Amino acid sequence: MSALASLLFKEYRRQVLGLLLLQPEQAFHMREIARLTHTQPGTLHKELAKLAEAGILKKTLQGNQTYYQADANCILFDELSSIMRKTSGLADVLRQALQPLANKLQFATVYGSVASGKATSASDIDVLLVGNAGYAEVVAALYPAQQELGREINPKLYSVNEWQDALSAQSGFIKQILANPMLPILGDADDIRQPDREVAGAH
Amino acid sequence: MTLDNLIGKSLEPIEPDSAAIQRLLEAAQRNLKDAELTGLSNETRFDTAYKAIMQLANASLQASGFRTLTSKPGHHQTLIQSLVKTVGIETERMIVLDALRKQRNITDYSGDLVEDAAVTECLLQARYLLATITTWLGSEK
Repeated sequence: MSALASLLFKEYRRQVLGLLLLQPEQAFHMREIARLTHTQPGTLHKELAKLAEAGILKKTLQGNQTYYQADANCILFDELSSIMRKTSGLADVLRQALQPLANKLQFATVYGSVASGKATSASDIDVLLVGNAGYAEVVAALYPAQQELGREINPKLYSVNEWQDALSAQSGFIKQILANPMLPILGDADDIRQPDREVAGAH
Repeated sequence: MTLDNLIGKSLEPIEPDSAAIQRLLEAAQRNLKDAELTGLSNETRFDTAYKAIMQLANASLQASGFRTLTSKPGHHQTLIQSLVKTVGIETERMIVLDALRKQRNITDYSGDLVEDAAVTECLLQARYLLATITTWLGSEK
């Protein structure tokens, strides 16, 4: 999925948009953006200026400091945010964080307000995981990503059997997850939907 | 950061009362036993094991001569963080305990289901903490 993002946007643009469009309430100082995106201030400055000129970002001065923030009034704001949610920013960070556990997880996805684009600055990232990883190792793996993404992460960890049981029981909680947008991190939800289907080869 | 730095912010100093500490330890043991009853729902088992963790953290905080300030919010978080300074749990363990705290918060307010993995972890952490604190109280006090 990061291949899609790098095809669409050059490195710096992808990094900047990934950071700023996913935390639209937050204004960042240029050095802060450089630090968080691991980019060089010189090139970054040119990129920020271009994006601000096009109206994708807004530039504000506080004292003698320049801050950049996503401009929610930009006509492409919703579309660009949606592309970033699905590609470079969030899912990538979570995918990398979960990489050490990838062989223990059949499926992982973001659900809830962050996945549906209704998140506020106070919203947590809800992550659904299905597989045989342990709770403590999932918490430990996701912990550094909280800082990087600027949000708390709440894991829901199911074994494959438990998830299939939950699907057939169709509680209000499960129904709500399934009826709303998800942001896939690993694997494919359909591979574990049917209890009679082969699950071992998923992803 | 020591616990003394938190006096007035989230803690207040107390004279340790061994009877009160013993009551908390016994309550935690009863809760842990209840949390092991497999006929109960995941939500109840999780809550009960979590309560045991809070009582154990509170017992070790009191044994160290502190209690949480009732006038400040965030007691549970303070209790969990204090474990690093009292019985000396590793940061990794504190992070897991804090994740369990958040999970409980969310479940209480949203009605979300608690998964088996969270119940297992909460029980494991409660048992481990009981063992850690029992050893610590034996050696320190």
